[in-house]
Amino acid sequence: MVVEAQVKTAKRVTGGSFLIEDLNPDDIFTLEDLSSEQKQIANLAADFAEDKILPQVHEIEAKNWDVSRKLMRDLGDLGLLGIDVPEQYGGLDMDKITSTLVAENLTGSGSFSVTFSAHVTIGTLPLVWYGTPEQKEKYLPKLASGEWIAAYALSESSAGSDAMNIRTRATLTPDGKHYLLNGEKMWISNAGIANLFTVFAKIDGEKFSAFLVEAGTPGLTVGAEEHKLGIRGSSTCALVLADCKVPVENLLGQAGKGHHIAFNILNVGRYKLAASAVGGARSSLRDGIRYAKERVAFGKPITSFGLVQEKIAESAAGVYATEAVLYRVVGAIDAALAELDKNSPTFAAEVQKRIEEFAVECSILKFFGSEMVERVVDHTLQIHGGFGYVEEYSAERAYRDSRINRIFEGTNEINRLITTGWMIKRALQGTLPLLPAIKKVMDEVMAGPAAKVSYEGPLAPERALLAGAKKISLFCAGAASQKFGNDLGEQQEVMGALADMLSEVLALESSILRTEKANKPNSIAVKLTKYYAAHSFRIIETSAERVLAAVAEGDTLRIQMTILRRLTKHEPVNTVALGREISSALVEVGRYRL
Amino acid sequence: MRILTVVRQVLDAEESVNIQEGAVALDGRKLVLDTMDEYGVEEALRLREGAAAGAEVVALAIGPARTEEALRSALAMGADRAILVETETPLDVIAVSAVVAQVAQSEKIDLIFCGGQQADWDSHALGAATAERLQWPQATWTSLLALQGGMLSGKHDVDGGSESFAVPLPAVVTTQQGLNEPRYPTLPNIMKAKRKELRRVPLTEYGVSAKLRVVGVEVQVKQRRKNIIDGKDASAAAATLIDLLRHDAGVIG
Repeated sequence: MVVEAQVKTAKRVTGGSFLIEDLNPDDIFTLEDLSSEQKQIANLAADFAEDKILPQVHEIEAKNWDVSRKLMRDLGDLGLLGIDVPEQYGGLDMDKITSTLVAENLTGSGSFSVTFSAHVTIGTLPLVWYGTPEQKEKYLPKLASGEWIAAYALSESSAGSDAMNIRTRATLTPDGKHYLLNGEKMWISNAGIANLFTVFAKIDGEKFSAFLVEAGTPGLTVGAEEHKLGIRGSSTCALVLADCKVPVENLLGQAGKGHHIAFNILNVGRYKLAASAVGGARSSLRDGIRYAKERVAFGKPITSFGLVQEKIAESAAGVYATEAVLYRVVGAIDAALAELDKNSPTFAAEVQKRIEEFAVECSILKFFGSEMVERVVDHTLQIHGGFGYVEEYSAERAYRDSRINRIFEGTNEINRLITTGWMIKRALQGTLPLLPAIKKVMDEVMAGPAAKVSYEGPLAPERALLAGAKKISLFCAGAASQKFGNDLGEQQEVMGALADMLSEVLALESSILRTEKANKPNSIAVKLTKYYAAHSFRIIETSAERVLAAVAEGDTLRIQMTILRRLTKHEPVNTVALGREISSALVEVGRYRL
Repeated sequence: MRILTVVRQVLDAEESVNIQEGAVALDGRKLVLDTMDEYGVEEALRLREGAAAGAEVVALAIGPARTEEALRSALAMGADRAILVETETPLDVIAVSAVVAQVAQSEKIDLIFCGGQQADWDSHALGAATAERLQWPQATWTSLLALQGGMLSGKHDVDGGSESFAVPLPAVVTTQQGLNEPRYPTLPNIMKAKRKELRRVPLTEYGVSAKLRVVGVEVQVKQRRKNIIDGKDASAAAATLIDLLRHDAGVIG
């Protein structure tokens, strides 16, 4: 079947440009821009989650794999496992917004979300991008239908964030027909239920490569299920490879080029993780609001208390901002991919290159989304009081389940380092004109107070905050690189603080643009944007102070702090009143809805 | 054979009901295909896949432009084409049945499915009113259906049991929960639905106007009385409770 391209509403932008380029609302894609089909597909996933996943949560958590397998088969029948798979191999080959929507709406069980994501993203995509026609023919239709489950085996006990350090070896047999794999893999999602593993190993201990290993291959042993803090209904095991005999035709991609597979897949894994985080946060918030509406204390429902309202508002603002970033970024990725010719022999390589362009946004989404959902599940648990701490309510499970998000797909620490490091690399390469932008800001701030720019519309004060936030970030990046030069990468705390500033700039800008694009003054979206902006700017201010104090002292620090104070000067918005208004609107409808 | 399945768009069950400007506020709310109508669409598709192979399934909706979404859902489930009779004025069931009957005649329909009960206004009348206008037999509140030749047989639930029936076509059938489990639209079908025929016809073409004028709508809010009986003295509390149940609530004699 032919799937028509979606309406392109996102401007073609380059990764990382958000810091130096100002976009118009119409330049970005937002959740409000979904086509009617995309909405239907999102609803399909949400209905499936509500009707099929949620009622079986206890079975899933009890590791009743038959239930998870059946759910996967059902998803395959509906076409939900084949969105990123080419049509000739049983897939639908649709846009990334659609696959993101599905990941976001397939909520109900954190465990099953992981089973699903590990399958469609890191499990299936390596084959889509690197498989030979024979490999694709053999495996993709089974993965797209859910008949087979896929897993991705990269981590080892001594190689997690430092993935290139893996010890698993592959040796060609004397007859040249097989590779013998030896080593041990750890924390492999879906391992206990997978039929196909993408296993990373170094040929002769040197050439980093990927292999397609079928379950049941002699020499492959799947270890016992790990006893985990959360996502207990997601299978996680070690793999032992002892002379595991893999046919040479199952080498995936080129020998020695496996790191391309490992790293490019992670970009998709990272923004998809943010999608699951948004979905998980939204349903957790709904549970929190539901409980708060029912629970009466001191003769009143607890939704009437300010400190409960504050939790609801803060959660909602976080969800709103993450949605804004997620759909902006994925919309930009779709716009970049739309220009490619699907029939070109270099199509898969081009796709990865274009997604890699947004590596910094993917990394930001990963840590930003995982930390957002963690705040939300924490608030929901707290709203539940004592009930939040027992298994009877979903709050306890959601709290445990969300914790893994800060660890897998690259720890949040690694992703913060990637974020700042990537920007610096692009700046030095000259591919992103950051250095001229830093210079301009430095000159400007050194010249003394500048004439005030005035903004219009209901978000005028937030526009001013955003302009300030961009300048502060550039100023701090400039100050930090002046001080540390090429050694900045070693200053992890400074790198981390800069990554926080970058992520907040992206979130603040995306929220403003999203709200302005929807163009509904007095809407809940305007309030959420204002609420988020206040939160965001506090983080930017604190991080900037931390960076400056680490890079300067004495008079220099005093001058820099004067500049910072000038850039951060603003009249604070009344977040107490805003929070109450946001909470009351959400409580009325019983969940997060704009 | 041609099957007409009438669908309505209603507020999702999860949405709260609010009144704005004298009507239930729908703006920004999630609207869905009425589940009762979904049973009808599903049953029509099952007939097409079984005893009525080759039948054409036509989905019909009467309502404002946004109702198109409900029809798209029916198309995504598998209906062959759709007709939207457009009107911004809310129509009562009897007026709607006049449109349905006309469409049934002009489209040469053999079997009509209607939801047994509206999810929003609870009316059961559409099927009966349509059957009456067409002078067709009606089988309401069905829980099982089978088609053999031109004869439709099945079960109709009654209090404490069920009746079996057989009706010749053409006929009107209304659904109820348990008739079937409606399928999810698959992704390929959602994309295909986009290219299926959806014909829009203004209501004026049917010469039908509302028989009923809505004067006002209100939501009855249940207020809790928060009357807590002090239980320190158990027998006094029991006496108070009995008194309240007898004289205040009137639930015991």
